[in-house]
Amino acid sequence: MHVAVVGLGAVGTRAARQLASTDAVERVTLYETLEGRVAEVSSSLGAKAHAGAGAPEVLADVDVVLLATPCGSHLGLAGDLVARGIPVVSTSDDVDEVRSLLDLGPEAEARGIAVAVGAAFSPGLTCLLARLAADRLDRVDEIHVARLGTGGPACARQHHDSLGGVGLDWRDGGWQRRAAGSGRELSWFPDPIGAADCYRAALPDPLLLVPAFPGVGRVTARLAATRRDRLTAQLPMLRPPHPEGGLGAIRVEVRGRSQDGIAVEILGAMDRPGVAGGAVAALAAVELGAGRARHAGASGLATLVEVRPFLRELARRGVKVAAFG
Amino acid sequence: MTMIRRALVALGLAGLVAAVLRVRGTGGTPPQRGGWRELSPDELR
Repeated sequence: MHVAVVGLGAVGTRAARQLASTDAVERVTLYETLEGRVAEVSSSLGAKAHAGAGAPEVLADVDVVLLATPCGSHLGLAGDLVARGIPVVSTSDDVDEVRSLLDLGPEAEARGIAVAVGAAFSPGLTCLLARLAADRLDRVDEIHVARLGTGGPACARQHHDSLGGVGLDWRDGGWQRRAAGSGRELSWFPDPIGAADCYRAALPDPLLLVPAFPGVGRVTARLAATRRDRLTAQLPMLRPPHPEGGLGAIRVEVRGRSQDGIAVEILGAMDRPGVAGGAVAALAAVELGAGRARHAGASGLATLVEVRPFLRELARRGVKVAAFG
Repeated sequence: MTMIRRALVALGLAGLVAAVLRVRGTGGTPPQRGGWRELSPDELR
């Protein structure tokens, strides 16, 4: 399998490393605009890694392309690749971009290829956990996602922007636009993270979860933030983002009904977001590159991959899932 | 003198109430089960 990775930041580098250590992957072609970065990463990955020549749009004989560039730069390249019939994995977590990538669905479906949208830590692993939790229920009524932490600098910028945007809640068959920074909820993340205040934010998880769970009544997504984060959300970032954030976590709560009555399933994961996001993106690329996508078109991971084998492999690579209760 | 007596009565009553709450109040041992646990490989089959 030949995989191209475009963007070698915190997520892209980890994804490339995961791909290079995957038996099914024979070649990993790397693209990055930052001078010297490709040589630096490829030299650390061994013989499978190669620097990409020319633009990734004209890449030939590639089985799947993983986009890990900063948000806002995925759509153009993804559109070109879909037009050429090449499966795409995007790690974008920008609401507008995720919506536009989902709009590539009909063309991807017509060409018989899959586009994995939001395939990282959150969204990505959150979609997988929502599916795993939902499989334990007979009916899903509500899905609530919370996330804490950031990966690299691009992720930190996106975190900042999302707290200054508009949150999307799905409620009783319609979208509700609510101010980011509102709706405080205390969420308990897996140990050792513990409790953190989470707020509405411009997060794309509901856009991916609503089509994956037909008939769901409520879907919300919240982001852990400090008072300073909320206070400065409307301003430019006051200081440069850190090279990489610390530990992060996700929490997915699915409410519904089982044969015993009303039931609540709570799943979570704790890791560095860049590390976990890279592993999820790499595994998604392997699944799509091997032709194991469950359907053609553009969607989140909740419907695109077989969740249990995916999570087993993810656990084998060190990203483990926890259950509350 | 009256004030001291009233203060002592008030302190005594407060101590009595505190003792009753201490003995009969809710609380006790925090939950010894539950919380986050890692999913085992079997639960992912």
